Amino acid sequence: MKYKKGWSLLLCTGLLLAAAGCGSSGNNGNGNKEAAEATKAPASAAATTAPTEDTAKPELKSLNLWSKDDYNTYPLAKVIEEKTGYKVKYEMLPADKAMDKLNLLISSGEPYDVITISGEKAVYTDYAKMGALVDLTPLIEEYGPNIKASISEASFDAVKVDGKIFAIPNSSSQFAGADLMIRQDWLDKLGLKTPTTLDEFTEVLKAFKEKDPGGNGSSGAPMSIDGGLATTANITGAFGIGTSWNKLDGKLVPPPLHPGFKEYLTYMADLYKQGLLDKEFAVNKDATLKEKFTSGKIGVIQLPWYDIPSVADALNANFPDAKFVYLPALKGKDGQMGLGMSGGFDRLTFIPKSAKHPEDAIKWINAKLDKDTFKLIAIGEEGKHHTYKDGIYSPILPLFTDERGNASNYLTGIDEKLYPIYWQARVQKDARLFAGFSYLNNELPAEARIADPLALAPSLPEYSKNNASLNQMINDFAVKVIVGEESPDAVDAFAEKYKAAGGEASYKEVNDWYAASGK
Amino acid sequence: MGTGVTDLKRKNNVKRVRTSSAGKWRLAWRNRDYYVLLIPGLLFLLLFKYTPLYGVLIAFQDFNIFEGVRGSEWVGLEQFHKLVQSEEFGRVFMNTLLISVYKIVLLFPIPVFIALVLNEVRLMFFKRTIQTIIYLPHFLSWVIISGLFVTILSTSGGLVNNIIQSLGGEPISFFVSNEYFRSLVVFTAGWKETGWNAIVFIAAIAGIDQEQYEAAAIDGAGRIRRMLHISLPGILPTVVLMFILRLGSVLDAGTEQILTMYNPVVYETADVIGTFVYRIGLGKMDYSFSTAVGLFNSVVGFILIISGNFISRKLLKRGIW
Amino acid sequence: MTKRTKGDLVLDTAVYFFLILLGVIMLLPLINVLSKAVSAEWAITSGKVGILPVGFQLDTMKEVISSSTFIRAFGVSVGVTVVGTIISILMTALTAYPLSKRLPGIPFIMVLFIFTMLFSGGLIPNYLLMRQLHLINNLWVLILPGMISVFNLLVIKSYYESLPEALEESARIDGAKTYTILFRIILPLSMPVIATIALFYAVGFWNDYFGPMIYINDTALKTLQLYLQDVVMDASAANAVNKSVDDLMNMSPEGIRAATVVASTVPILFVYPFLQKYFIKGVLIGSVKG
Repeated sequence: MKYKKGWSLLLCTGLLLAAAGCGSSGNNGNGNKEAAEATKAPASAAATTAPTEDTAKPELKSLNLWSKDDYNTYPLAKVIEEKTGYKVKYEMLPADKAMDKLNLLISSGEPYDVITISGEKAVYTDYAKMGALVDLTPLIEEYGPNIKASISEASFDAVKVDGKIFAIPNSSSQFAGADLMIRQDWLDKLGLKTPTTLDEFTEVLKAFKEKDPGGNGSSGAPMSIDGGLATTANITGAFGIGTSWNKLDGKLVPPPLHPGFKEYLTYMADLYKQGLLDKEFAVNKDATLKEKFTSGKIGVIQLPWYDIPSVADALNANFPDAKFVYLPALKGKDGQMGLGMSGGFDRLTFIPKSAKHPEDAIKWINAKLDKDTFKLIAIGEEGKHHTYKDGIYSPILPLFTDERGNASNYLTGIDEKLYPIYWQARVQKDARLFAGFSYLNNELPAEARIADPLALAPSLPEYSKNNASLNQMINDFAVKVIVGEESPDAVDAFAEKYKAAGGEASYKEVNDWYAASGK
Repeated sequence: MGTGVTDLKRKNNVKRVRTSSAGKWRLAWRNRDYYVLLIPGLLFLLLFKYTPLYGVLIAFQDFNIFEGVRGSEWVGLEQFHKLVQSEEFGRVFMNTLLISVYKIVLLFPIPVFIALVLNEVRLMFFKRTIQTIIYLPHFLSWVIISGLFVTILSTSGGLVNNIIQSLGGEPISFFVSNEYFRSLVVFTAGWKETGWNAIVFIAAIAGIDQEQYEAAAIDGAGRIRRMLHISLPGILPTVVLMFILRLGSVLDAGTEQILTMYNPVVYETADVIGTFVYRIGLGKMDYSFSTAVGLFNSVVGFILIISGNFISRKLLKRGIW
Repeated sequence: MTKRTKGDLVLDTAVYFFLILLGVIMLLPLINVLSKAVSAEWAITSGKVGILPVGFQLDTMKEVISSSTFIRAFGVSVGVTVVGTIISILMTALTAYPLSKRLPGIPFIMVLFIFTMLFSGGLIPNYLLMRQLHLINNLWVLILPGMISVFNLLVIKSYYESLPEALEESARIDGAKTYTILFRIILPLSMPVIATIALFYAVGFWNDYFGPMIYINDTALKTLQLYLQDVVMDASAANAVNKSVDDLMNMSPEGIRAATVVASTVPILFVYPFLQKYFIKGVLIGSVKG
């Protein structure tokens, strides 16, 4: 402590104006004192909280992901405080470089009681292995009856590290998120049926190109994709690579090692060569893609259903008669098809070793999972925020969006049976959005959707570590082949590179687990 | 203090005479006022810049943030090998140098030129307006600028390609062309920073004694002559300073810019050290590797600044120090 | 001033033509951002907004400016920028003065400064240092480590060196001390360069988002640039990878992003015209001498 004070003193006296600053600013002085107490506190925390726990609930400090609303002032904060009796001070990570910041905070032992981050397990597993997190197993046993009732054994198993639970997971609803959108009015104008196979789809693109139903002149290609998503939804399904790991002969196989990858690239490169795929697709970001579609330049794009309302608004403002629909899962030559589904976890909540009130944190989480409280947090009050009819919750707008739109950010663990039902209220806030969601997930037959086989896999360190850079490699290679800079035959050479860059280790790890899980 | 001044002056006039070490101390003591002024700056330097410098050691470790520098494993030069040995390094290094050199050769003189030209404007309102306008692009982030240029240069309805087509040319896909991409990078960088970089030269011109211009005018010197014989020499020290400093960042070809603008099709010509390291480090939090790359860049930059200063002192009789 | 000749006229025409062309090229894209901030969302999505706004509306602008997070962050940024700029100018102007003298040890000290332009300890040691100094979550952390920018130090030092030595000598003969000379003669003559580094510092403090992102945790102490960075980067593809579908549904539309860019950039743009008067007209050294 003396040493630290010495530095502060040096700083204050040595630097001419800083001295004036340190003296005049109450803020700085208090900051020092508070911080000094904060560093002293953890040691004595266990001793002081135990006797007072019933009389006074301590203020908890929660670290969350970035949100455009301030967690502290959003109406839900008040609701949660009233229902649980805990006052919580929320802080958030930056939107960019969030994990860099989290690393600093965790490694330097900032005293957060609860930390909620995205469902990506790599970081979490690292922390757990480093001993930076509190083992929640005994705490849940003692203080978490609601937690145990709400979250399934399977979910807990997926977040266990060395047999211990270090996090409370929010499992995500499993659904198909994106598909190809096509201009229905263009099809009608040319008297074409909605394509159901890949061959029919190609014919439609050719007809769009030749007959130009959008009136764009001959230069434009009828379809475009995002340069960062060169493995297009639906089309990949027709080649058997609808998700990032696909079943093949009893193994899970990533695209570079799957024969369908080469066929897919050959097909796309052919579209590109024929001028059916946007010449500049590699440059496309999300916004450029929507711009091209809504300004009527292209007739087919990949679109996630949550983007439907903004795209529909813009398209219809420009072309009042325009209609667009999702394509059914297109069948490939062997009848293969499918849309990849999401899965896994939306959020993980954990308690760092530096927490001052780990027990209260669990009690708080437990209180939030009380049946009524959970419902109140997730979708608000009936008649005020939502209506309930025939087993369906529908939002009352705009209050639902104003006071519950941000609710998922406050969830630390979910009721796994009820939340998927509550959650659909969120999807119902716009009828067009709901129609898109419903088409992909209720109307299409079940075999048109391919579940993510890794959704409930345990922590796989090699896979987690390399996943982001390997995916980037796959995308980069796919773009190069599609534009003709590399031949589809280069896949074999690429597969070797992929293996060397960590793909081999990931493949082994994933399949060791897959074999053991006995699916 | 009177003697101090004469000492100072003598030192300036007779540089070649080597002062004895005792003489140096005497000179320093007589000018102690100056050294006192340096104390706050040096304390600042020590505390905020030199204290954390042990962090470069991370480059020689397999750093683990929980173990800290003390507890992490030492791996020698392994991180540097990882960078230099990778298959792409040669290409990436060449791209970095090329883009950087293009940027220096093509973009460095423009702000100087603009400052000289602006000095010839006599309409104050016009001068101020133009100055303000050209510095504006500096404030937009690359994400936004890159989005704007994608739209302007698009082959389907972009402004530039519309003009090219109306003149009878074939549309050019600037963003996916290995032929044009580097030019695009240099041009947009110039567009963003030229006005901002001109400020320091504009200020330097303002520091020239107005009496010089008046005296020259009386001697019958025209405006071009005054520009070349008063303005230009007047800002030369600033130009030299800026140029030497610019050399220091030669291995940063504009990572943030290229990251928002490039795509796999133009990796061949556009992938630079910064973007390459970004891609292979995705999702990995490899502190040691990124520190090693940073250190590599710094060492090269420092050597260039030292040599630049040396050459400048030999040729132009002036340098940063 | 001398009489205008034919040559002057040609030169003037060329100069004005060149500058107007330059101004237009620089201005158009900015107008585009401004127009997006006041256009209808559908028009932005479909890329209809060029120079002029389409579907003009001020609701997004109002929504951004009236949000409490924005107002608070704006206040923090103004405070940090004003205080930081004043402190930095003083520190830099004072430190640069001795460095402009040919005295024993000065070249070595120059190298010490320049060394730090290239070599830094990196993120983690800096964070640990700020922690030890109890500067985490304290607004001084945004000011103190940036008090002297070596670049600005060199700019001002090089300016001092260009001032005629005779000025100081005559003052010394009149019996003036070093500090008197600095404050009475050198600094008043250095207004153009002080205005320049004031601009550089102000823009530097205002635009800094990395410092606040790393060293500030408390939502109430976040600066405007950090807020802007968050809003803009939230939508970037790299950050979308780990987002849940609820996060994606809650994403700000592009109009909000454009409006945030405008609202957080326009204030700092006014600094330059304000400082311009100090370097639009050259100095008259004679006036100080006399």
